[in-house]
Amino acid sequence: MRIFVLVKQVPDSTEIKIDPRTGNLLRQGVAAIMNPEDRHALQAAVELAAQVGESSVTVLTMGPPQAIDVLTEALACGADKAVLLTDELFAGADTWSTSGVLARAIQHLGGAHLVLAGRQAIDGDTAQIGPQVAEALGMEQATYVQEIEYLDGELEVERRMGEHLERLCLPLPALVTVVAELNVPGHPRLDLLLLACQDRAPIEILNAADLGFKAQEVGLAGSLTEVVETFSPKSARETEFLEGSPAEMAAALLGRLKAAKLLHKGGLE
Amino acid sequence: MSGKTLNLKAKVRPPPRIRSDAPRMVRQVFHRFTEEEVIPRAQAIDESRAFPRELFKMLGDMNAFGVRYPRNKGGAGGSTTIFCIICEELARGLVSLAAEYAMQCLMGTNFLFHYGNAEQHERYFLPAMKGEKVTAFCMTEPDNSSDLTGCKTSAKRDGEDWVINGVKTFVTNGPVADLFTVLVQTRPGSRGKGLNFCLVPREAPGLSVSRAFATLGTWSTEMSELALSDVVIPAQNMLLPPGTGMRALLSIVAEIRTMTAALGLGLARAAYEASVRYARERYQFGRLIKDYQLIQAHMANMATNIYASELMVRDCCARIDRGESPLNLSSMTKYFVCETACNAADRATRVLGGYSYSMDYPVQRYYRDSRFLLYGGGTHEILQSTIGRTLLR
Ligand SMILES: Cc1cc2nc3c(=O)[nH]c(=O)nc-3n(C[C@H](O)[C@H](O)[C@H](O)COP(=O)(O)OP(=O)(O)OC[C@H]3O[C@@H](n4cnc5c(N)ncnc54)[C@H](O)[C@@H]3O)c2cc1C
Ligand SMILES: Cc1cc2nc3c(=O)[nH]c(=O)nc-3n(C[C@H](O)[C@H](O)[C@H](O)COP(=O)(O)OP(=O)(O)OC[C@H]3O[C@@H](n4cnc5c(N)ncnc54)[C@H](O)[C@@H]3O)c2cc1C
Repeated sequence: MRIFVLVKQVPDSTEIKIDPRTGNLLRQGVAAIMNPEDRHALQAAVELAAQVGESSVTVLTMGPPQAIDVLTEALACGADKAVLLTDELFAGADTWSTSGVLARAIQHLGGAHLVLAGRQAIDGDTAQIGPQVAEALGMEQATYVQEIEYLDGELEVERRMGEHLERLCLPLPALVTVVAELNVPGHPRLDLLLLACQDRAPIEILNAADLGFKAQEVGLAGSLTEVVETFSPKSARETEFLEGSPAEMAAALLGRLKAAKLLHKGGLE
Repeated sequence: MSGKTLNLKAKVRPPPRIRSDAPRMVRQVFHRFTEEEVIPRAQAIDESRAFPRELFKMLGDMNAFGVRYPRNKGGAGGSTTIFCIICEELARGLVSLAAEYAMQCLMGTNFLFHYGNAEQHERYFLPAMKGEKVTAFCMTEPDNSSDLTGCKTSAKRDGEDWVINGVKTFVTNGPVADLFTVLVQTRPGSRGKGLNFCLVPREAPGLSVSRAFATLGTWSTEMSELALSDVVIPAQNMLLPPGTGMRALLSIVAEIRTMTAALGLGLARAAYEASVRYARERYQFGRLIKDYQLIQAHMANMATNIYASELMVRDCCARIDRGESPLNLSSMTKYFVCETACNAADRATRVLGGYSYSMDYPVQRYYRDSRFLLYGGGTHEILQSTIGRTLLR
């Protein structure tokens, strides 16, 4: 079985900084990691490949050159091959453009029986990439998957849909996006990690032209959406420290609560 | 592909040479391992006073014990630089674990790897790499420690076998070890000229292991005494050519000292980071304590010495990786960095005030564990003497 895993490099922080001028994410100075749910997708891929036999796991990422690090880590976690899609022309891609490039790359690399992805990236947060790649490749898809079983060329998956669960049978080829409940990802192996940093590591690097794209088809130019404004919401919460003896602080607190109209006639409203 | 002919901008170019930087990746992976697996368990492991089997096995599954050995022999194909990064990151979480890790990577398996035969590799080395067998290194005796040439544990030839008699002490991992590399004297009275290392499996008749010592720090590193009474080992367990024990030991001394410094660097960082976190959240007299200059002085001192330590460790690692044996520089590094660690742990106990005295916070553990660094790899008195003597030679 040919399995592809989509992995994204994301900033290691929920505090994402945004360039106030361009509205784009500022990636400099923030440690970068593999999107957490992608670790679960990769673990599932490696386990499935071992179970099915005669399988290959290829990890795929589109990003700047330094996104190589998530591929290195993925190889150390048991992926057989890694592909970096990098080109200045890809810059500024929206989810439509990103998924178009990922889908084209999968075709270029010989197609997949199964594509696994994280449900959602912790920075972009759209959860659109998986479904869009499935559409672009004309594949069956299941999202929010927390259990995967492979039986005679078919997948049985369990989707976590808020309050209820859904079990589905999927014929292959299919794309599945996964949630953290799926499994416990193993740690990378040191020998594979060191090997993945060497020139002879099984990493392929492709650009827009390699995939047969014209400049205007990818990146900002090839995006359907336009970011009008991106901003960090201003937090209205303010913290005040009261000082003095316990009695003084209690009196001050009562005063504040009354002033805020949270207290009346000695009781809480 | 039409893209390349129709459009001038999208060009088929030879793929750029892009690869990740190995030291950075290793640090990232073991930083996360320490954050996710070690730090959350550290206090419970410490208080259990028991060897952390679960984490030890995890490190085996990662092939982390193989860092110094080539890939085609079951190792991971790393370097001293990589080894010391892992030691440092683990020590940031729990010095005990880092010390057990380092023992298994270096002293516990080095002579087995370099001088053991194929059967010994199969039986002990490969399981040790997987974290399934635990190894220990026994040089110190009750009466001979800093002075190893005084080693009294004797090995006498008996036909094809050797018979070992003696007592070893302060054996790190002793109570849980499956295999001991033991320093022995094969020619009584010859001091350094008769030393050799031999392998003694735990099940060898005549070997008895004491129960674990009660210790000041590194509580989950179990340590014991070893009594060898007419222990018979086959000839192939005597690892080195006759009388080359001292030379063999010398070949890894720079590495042992640099590794010990890396443990110290990790502990110093833990103490520093705990201090910074606390100074940023603790209010006294209506201000965060980080605004007080005497607290800032602690931070400045810790950070400066940690920076110097980092450069010293990195330089020694690079030299060892280039094939040098920086004996004096590694002595300086072990001395400076481990003093820095003790000092940083001490300062952290001041920054955290009374809370550092509570067993519920990790700073007391940093303080106790920092003392571990003072003895193995040479006491700081011995190191200062050898540094001075070498310089004035
Ligand atoms: C309207 C819009 C405009 C945007 N404009 C810009 C812009 O101008 N500049 C800019 O830098 N970014 C921009 N982005 C962000 C960028 O397009 C997204 O980060 C990217 O498309 C992935 O979307 P996501 O992060 O929401 O991923 P999700 O859909 O939440 O990710 C789900 C899963 O898809 C896979 N995946 C996601 N991204 C990748 C990838 N790159 N490679 C491999 N696998 C992947 C992973 O498995 C991931 O877990 C824009 C996004 C939107 C929605
Ligand atoms: C936590 C821990 C783990 C250990 N693990 C191991 C292990 O796994 N295997 C092993 O073999 N050993 C181990 N040791 C033993 C360690 O190597 C010895 O403690 C060390 O060699 C010092 O010996 P000693 O403590 O007997 O001190 P001594 O050698 O008796 O020294 C006592 C004092 O005299 C000073 N001194 C001695 N000689 C000189 C000199 N020439 N010049 C100036 N001052 C001198 C010393 O610095 C010290 O201050 C361990 C020790 C500890 C504390």
